[in-house]
Amino acid sequence: MSFVEIAGASYAYRVGQAREIVVDRVEWTIGQGEFHCLVGRSGCGKTTLLKVAAGLLAPSQGSVYIEGNEVLEPSAQVGFVFQSPTLLEWATVLDNVLLPISLKRRLLPSDRQGALDLLALVGLADYAGRYPRELSGGQQSRVAIARALIVEPLVLLMDEPFAALDAITRQELQDDLLRLCALRRTTVLFVTHDIAEAVYLADRVAVMKQGRFTHALTIDLAKPREHDVRYSVRFNQLCLEIHQTMDAPG
Amino acid sequence: MSIRVYTWGLLVAFLAAWELVCRATGISELVLPAPSVVLTTLWSGLATGYLLPHIWLTSAEMLLGLAAGCGIGFLCGIALGEAEFLRRLLYPYVIASQVIPKLALVPLFIVWFGFGMTSTVVITALICFFPLLENTLTAIHHVDPQKRELFRMLGATRLQTLFRLKIPAGLPVILAGVRVAVVLSLVGAVVAEFIAGRAGLGAMIIASQGMMDSPLMFALLVAITVLGIVFYQATLFAEQWLLRHHMKGLEQ
Repeated sequence: MSFVEIAGASYAYRVGQAREIVVDRVEWTIGQGEFHCLVGRSGCGKTTLLKVAAGLLAPSQGSVYIEGNEVLEPSAQVGFVFQSPTLLEWATVLDNVLLPISLKRRLLPSDRQGALDLLALVGLADYAGRYPRELSGGQQSRVAIARALIVEPLVLLMDEPFAALDAITRQELQDDLLRLCALRRTTVLFVTHDIAEAVYLADRVAVMKQGRFTHALTIDLAKPREHDVRYSVRFNQLCLEIHQTMDAPG
Repeated sequence: MSIRVYTWGLLVAFLAAWELVCRATGISELVLPAPSVVLTTLWSGLATGYLLPHIWLTSAEMLLGLAAGCGIGFLCGIALGEAEFLRRLLYPYVIASQVIPKLALVPLFIVWFGFGMTSTVVITALICFFPLLENTLTAIHHVDPQKRELFRMLGATRLQTLFRLKIPAGLPVILAGVRVAVVLSLVGAVVAEFIAGRAGLGAMIIASQGMMDSPLMFALLVAITVLGIVFYQATLFAEQWLLRHHMKGLEQ
C-alpha cells in the first residue's frame, strides 16, 4: 500500500516569459515505514520536489498524497529537516525541540518530558539547557532531528541534513536516524547527493536528473545495517550502479 | 588591563599639557580657560545645585524624545516590514522626511509648540525615529529564509512568526539602531535647546556665550560629554543583557 504518493507532480518557475521546469512529472510511491533516498546532482530539482511534497510549494501540475489525502499546505503530519540545522540561537536546546508544540498550544509538563526523552535518544540528554551555538555541528543536526520528531510525524522529509558534517559524525548520525525511524516506523524521504549515504540508509533509491526520475533501485542489503556493510561487495556494486546511471546521458 | 591605565594616562597627560600651556602663555580665560578653572566652575555649579535642573531637563528631554522616537520608529519599521504594500507606498516619504535637516524645523516647532521642552522632545524624537525604522526594517527583511520556511512548515501564524522569529532574530540589528539613536538624541536635544530652549544645557551654552563666560561653557561641554558617555554605557549594558542568550556560544 502506498503511504506517500507523488502523482505526476511538476514544478516550474516563471523566468520572465519563459517557464523553467524544475520538477517534471514525477511519479513515486513510498510504503509506510519505508526509507527512500533521492540522489541527484546539485540543481537537479530534488530540494524543490521535497518542498512540493512538504506543501511548502504548490505543484504546477499533479499532486502529492499522504495517506490518501492531498497535500495542500504544510501539516504537522510531515516533519521537515533542512540542509542547515536552522535552530533559534536565542533559545535553549530544549525550547528549540519544543518549538513545533509551543507554536500550536501551551506546553504541558509531559511535553517537556517527551522532549527530554527524545534528546536522550539522540544522545543529548545533558545539553537541554545549552544554546545552539554552544554545540558542535553534529549536535546541532541532532537537535534539528529531535525537533522534527517531537510531534511524531508520519512522514519525515530530509534535505541533505548531514551534508556539512565530517564523515565520522555523518555515519553516527545515519545510524541514529535509522534507529529512530525504525523505532517509530516513520516513513522517510531523504534527499542527498552522496551515493554511499543513500545506499546505506535506503530501502529504495531514486535517481533524479534534470527534474525527472530516471532510475529506481531497491537496496537488498540486510537490515538493520551494520557498519561492515559499507565495505561489502554488494554495497559497492549498488553504489557503482547508481553512479553509472547518474553519469549516463539523458 | 594595562591598556586602560594608558587610556586614563592619556587623559591626565592631555589635561596637564593644557594646564601648562594656559599658565605659561597667560592666555585669556575668555579664549581658553585652564582645566583647573573649568573643573572649579563645574564643581561649584554642581555643588550649589545651579547646574542640576539643567542637567535633569536635558536628560529628560533626551529620554522622552528617545523613547518616543525609538518606539514609533520600531512600530513603523515593523508595519512597513510586514506590509510590502505600505513599504512601497510610504518609503519615499520616509526618505524625504529624513533628508530635511530636522534642526531646520525647530523654528516651525516653536510656532507650533512654543519655546521649551515640547519642541525639543519632538525634534529629538524625529531624529531618533529614522535609525530605528531603518534598522527594524532591515532586520525583519533579512531573517534567514530557511528559518522562515521552518516556521511555515510548523504552521506558525503571522504574529507568531513576527514575535517568535523576526523580532528575536533581528534584535541585534534593532539594538544597534538604538545605540545610534542614543548618540543622536543627545545632539538633537542640546542643539534644539540652542534655538528653542529657555533652560537645559544647550540653552545654558548660548547663555554663557552671551555672558562671555567661557569657563562655564567648557564646564557645560564637559557635563554634556559625561552625560553622553553615561547614556551610551547604559545602552551597551542594556544591549548585553537583552542579547545575553544570542551571545551564548560566541565568546570562545
